[in-house]
Amino acid sequence: MYEASPGETILPSRQEVRSSRGLQDKLIIFLFLLPSTVIFLVFVVYPIFHSVYYSFFNWKGLGPAVDFIALDNYKRILTDRVFLIAVKNNLIIVFLSLLLQLPLSLGLAILVGRNLPGRAFFRSIFFMPYVFSEVITAIMWLGLFNPDPDRGFINALLILIPGVEPFPWLADTRTVLLCVFVVLSWKYFGFHMLLYITGLQNIPLDVEEAARIDGANRYQLLFNITIPLLSSTIRTSVYMSVLGSLQQFILVWIMTHGGPVNASEVMSTYMYRFGFVRFYLGYGSAVAIVMFLICLAFSLVYQRLTPQQDYLGGI
Amino acid sequence: MTHKIFTLLSIILIAVFALSGCATPATTVPTEEAVVEAEPTQPAPTEPPAEPTAAEAEVEPTVEEQPQVTVTWWHIQVADDQKALWQGMADEYMAAHPNVTVEITVLENEAFKTKITTMMQSGNPPDIFQSWGGGGMNEYAIAGLLKDITADLEKDGWKDTFSPGALGVFSFEGKYYGVPRDMGAVGFWYNKDLFAQAGIEAPPTTWSEFLEDIQTLKAAGITPIALGEGDKWPGAFYWEYLAVRIGGQAAFDAAYSRKGAFTDEPFVEAGVKLQELVALDPFQEGFLGATWPDEQVVMASEKAAMDLMGQWAPGAFKDASVDKQGLGDKLGWFPFPAVEGGAGDPADALGGGNGFVVGKDAEPEAVDFLKYISSVESQIAQAEIGLSVPVVKGAEVGLTDPMLVLVQQGAAAAKYFQLYYDQAMPPAVGGVVNDAVQGVFAGTLTPEECAAMIEESAQMELK
Amino acid sequence: MTTIITPSKNALQRKLPRIFQYLILSFFVLIVIVPIVMIVFGALKTRGEFMTRPYTIPFPPNWDNLDKIIHQPSFWRMMLNSLIVMFATTGCVVVFCSLAAFVFARTEFRGKGLMFNLFTLGLMFPINIAILPVYLVLRHMDLTNHLTGVVLIQVAFLLSSNILILRGFFAAIPVELQDAALIDGCTIAGFFWRILLPLARPSLAAIAALTMITSWNDLLVPLVVLDSDTLWTLPLGTMQFQSQYGQDLALVAAFLTLSAIPTIIFYTFAERQIVSGLIAGALKG
Repeated sequence: MYEASPGETILPSRQEVRSSRGLQDKLIIFLFLLPSTVIFLVFVVYPIFHSVYYSFFNWKGLGPAVDFIALDNYKRILTDRVFLIAVKNNLIIVFLSLLLQLPLSLGLAILVGRNLPGRAFFRSIFFMPYVFSEVITAIMWLGLFNPDPDRGFINALLILIPGVEPFPWLADTRTVLLCVFVVLSWKYFGFHMLLYITGLQNIPLDVEEAARIDGANRYQLLFNITIPLLSSTIRTSVYMSVLGSLQQFILVWIMTHGGPVNASEVMSTYMYRFGFVRFYLGYGSAVAIVMFLICLAFSLVYQRLTPQQDYLGGI
Repeated sequence: MTHKIFTLLSIILIAVFALSGCATPATTVPTEEAVVEAEPTQPAPTEPPAEPTAAEAEVEPTVEEQPQVTVTWWHIQVADDQKALWQGMADEYMAAHPNVTVEITVLENEAFKTKITTMMQSGNPPDIFQSWGGGGMNEYAIAGLLKDITADLEKDGWKDTFSPGALGVFSFEGKYYGVPRDMGAVGFWYNKDLFAQAGIEAPPTTWSEFLEDIQTLKAAGITPIALGEGDKWPGAFYWEYLAVRIGGQAAFDAAYSRKGAFTDEPFVEAGVKLQELVALDPFQEGFLGATWPDEQVVMASEKAAMDLMGQWAPGAFKDASVDKQGLGDKLGWFPFPAVEGGAGDPADALGGGNGFVVGKDAEPEAVDFLKYISSVESQIAQAEIGLSVPVVKGAEVGLTDPMLVLVQQGAAAAKYFQLYYDQAMPPAVGGVVNDAVQGVFAGTLTPEECAAMIEESAQMELK
Repeated sequence: MTTIITPSKNALQRKLPRIFQYLILSFFVLIVIVPIVMIVFGALKTRGEFMTRPYTIPFPPNWDNLDKIIHQPSFWRMMLNSLIVMFATTGCVVVFCSLAAFVFARTEFRGKGLMFNLFTLGLMFPINIAILPVYLVLRHMDLTNHLTGVVLIQVAFLLSSNILILRGFFAAIPVELQDAALIDGCTIAGFFWRILLPLARPSLAAIAALTMITSWNDLLVPLVVLDSDTLWTLPLGTMQFQSQYGQDLALVAAFLTLSAIPTIIFYTFAERQIVSGLIAGALKG
């Protein structure tokens, strides 16, 4: 949970200044918060409760919700084999992101560094996938993964190696999730790299310099100096990456529809399948709430494990 | 920390309930929320002075004092010539009826499905919109979102202009909610050159001949079948057609009426036959992840010999080929082979089509306009550009493509016409059929498990 | 920030030979640009070429696709709609978020922690989960089929993350400045307007740039909210090129390429701002 750290908030030191301004300040605070609070309550918080309400019904989205079934939707979700597969797949994407994507981003951030000639060029190129929409990204990669070497670039490269057959990347239940992860990484690693670059630029040069003069080798330097000093940035990046991985939707839906046979099913595609394909709106709402609770639980645990306040702060 | 969360949640709860008056489930007090929810089902606000329909239709153009009416029309024909045809008709109609404005929204198929879902759930249907009839339409009808146009159809013999089978798809419990514009049967499209190359003289008529031909094609180094099973519905055709051939009308009727079940022998047997086919590995590499557009390209580039698909296939092959000519004379068509010992008649067909239904708030002008675009002249024009396999009598003359004539005759000759399962049944069951059959294609489900999955969903949905 | 100006290089980098460093980076540059190049190639092919040989170099290039699109009035209308939505959303996000973030970062009042946590809930409930109830609310307010509706929803779902980010930026601005300003008789509003905002300009530019990208690429909200095609935004336009039973992929590629150009132009201008803006925010950590 958020806790105000001392020194973060400034109250005028003199008692009289404070009291004479109290009312005026309150008014300003109220007015400043008003627009965002109203929009947020109406378009975000109210729909959350809307979803909670419908999640207790067997409701097909047409007409009023009348068939109240209490927690049955939730019971079904938590025992549904396919939902558990979706959760597992989400977790696999989370772990792969943490194990591969973020270290890669950090590594590239360090390589691009502070004064490599041409660093602005590399930075721009690496960030570019983030600028493209998920729709464009999915269409691009669908083409690359095409199993027919006459049409798919990856297989066209593959068959140049003697004795290697083209491989149906998105059609094989063993590789499809990995392919989705590759595309997600392609799109988002630049964003995390940018975070790390900014973090690195805030590490005073003399700290590293001093450590180096003290005889630290580069691994010691990396693990004992750089990474600890980057801890705040890393926490932020991990937090955003985990939430992003849990909520990923459009890319997966366009690329695989969660298939074949649920091999790339994630929670959001599962929700979409029930809500918009099979019209079980009550059930779909319950899935949305379960996703919401999973993200909330992660946030709470994460903030407890990392007690320092980051600039993302919050829950 | 924990208690903070609780305080937070309870405060939001109070705030939101105060803000919205969110009705708690058990409450019967008509709070604001309850009113909002009730709205969609309120019987369509009684049609404004019910009479004028006929009168207005007669007097038409010059009368200025007629109230201005807007008809919203949603269709999914995004191809240039098809879109232009519809737009042209709307323009003509508006010229003849100055008091009517037709507002067209054109959406691509998938986008249409997403959007119409939200529109319907909010109780706000367009006046005229694309529909495939059957189970999906029935759900809208039950929820009171569609307008009953039975009376209009009875008048002046409008009803009799349609072929009854096609029109029947748009009826539910004796009432009509829309009209068809297109209807055809699914069958095998095949590449005559590739068949000849493998030494196959005539297309197969039975399932065992079919399996033999597949082996012959494979032996000749030709991929026998193109399939986009990533989209699921192309593969579901195989299982559904096998069920039609093995169990015939009786099996489906029994399962649908709940006197029988989808775990009955014919449906399991359909899975077993499908397994036989899959075991021969007749599909192009990566078919499990491929889509229907991929399937088109495989066929159009002559990389596979056969494709089980509906009446839209020749047009799609043209689209997908380099020179936009499709397979030309090489393209042939044969009906789904008979299964030895099956109860179904070999002439029975699986298929379906497209049409338009009328939203609950539609003005009489909307129905009049629907009549206009369903005229025989309109149907001929649609057939000429390959948009529709016509369902209005006398419009067959517009059908120039000999292949489409075959499909049209196939559908017309069928003693029993089985609508695609995802249209014959509620969308939820259709979705499960598609998912379960994909499991058989992937080898992750046995025929029994596949049938059981479908039956489980049917128990929930069919009464 | 303690920026020590030393001519020395990063110690980590010094150990790696430059050439090796460039090799690794070039490898990743290749991975990043190959898919992008492919789609640009696709845009310059005929439909048949795209379907049969999608990864060859289009020679001679076929300009028909691009030509066809830029001569469609609907393309420019959608471009205009996209721009309107993008600027309106970005304007609202920057204004509303900086006001709220300022309150959370620099003032004290009862219930502040609670309010702040309320906003962070938005991170757990992304728009693609919330789309149906959100649509119902919008319809109740009679804002469907209006660009305003699209803007409002986009703003609502971008508030959480941007308030969080900006709050960090604002909290990083030295405390002494606020003390001095208040003692000089500035109100907190005056401090916000005259001192804090000018100082935070790079950070505001950063969130503005990120918001613009998100808004420009948004497909789901415009799809659900807008009916009439005169209001459509560019992502919806791709559908124009998809037919019911197939797709003209070369034309879609051309459309995607053209519709992405504004973001890329914009990004190259804003990239420096994003980087320096994020640096300012990271100061606190």
